Amino acid sequence: MEEKKARLKPQAEIEVIPEGPIRIKGNIILSDVRRDIFESPEGEIYLCRCGRSKNKPYCDGSHEK
Amino acid sequence: MESSIKSGRGRKYTNGEITVYWKSESCIHASYCYRELIEVFDPSRRPWVDMYGATTAEIIRTVNMCPTDALTWKWNDEEKNRDVDPSHTNHVNFRRPELLKDETEAQSEPVSVRVMPQGPLIISGTFTLKYDNKIKEVEESAVSLCRCGASSRIPFCDGNHRKSDFKDD
Repeated sequence: MEEKKARLKPQAEIEVIPEGPIRIKGNIILSDVRRDIFESPEGEIYLCRCGRSKNKPYCDGSHEK
Repeated sequence: MESSIKSGRGRKYTNGEITVYWKSESCIHASYCYRELIEVFDPSRRPWVDMYGATTAEIIRTVNMCPTDALTWKWNDEEKNRDVDPSHTNHVNFRRPELLKDETEAQSEPVSVRVMPQGPLIISGTFTLKYDNKIKEVEESAVSLCRCGASSRIPFCDGNHRKSDFKDD
């Protein structure tokens, strides 16, 4: 009998918010060597994707300006 | 039933009643496991642990002999892990307490979200990606998302950050 590979359960949800940041929620490890970040954040995080945040890698709302 | 699951913290094996964890880098080859219970722990076999080769009590007794945390065990019934006698030296409570809440993690690795210096966001693992009213199921794979706003394939990176004046500060 052929063994069917079970589909893996998604561990996180990544949402690219229109005209906004990247929202990430779930079982993740966030790393940023430049800023010495290596952590599993609780709850959701919002990451900058416009390049203008003063609080990278996080969004600070600068995209609205 | 598949009784061995590869996890990021080594391997684990279950007979439905207990789970045995194997962390190869801790093994000092004291060889108690296979001298005591070759039916279960046979280094010449693949997989080398057969959880149906002996009773649960015999497996627990043998795992407790391991002098390092190479072999540890826990009850699958979470309640039974709360008050474990210290004579069970290799119960995860005493050796690798982080494995007590292992269930979800061992099935799938956490999703890795890497902020690349002066570059994109690289997300790898098994996750759901929503963008442009689309939903993409990514399974054991990776995507590279633009972080500078200059990509012509937004939300994905196309390498344009090198040409733009993206300052990752």
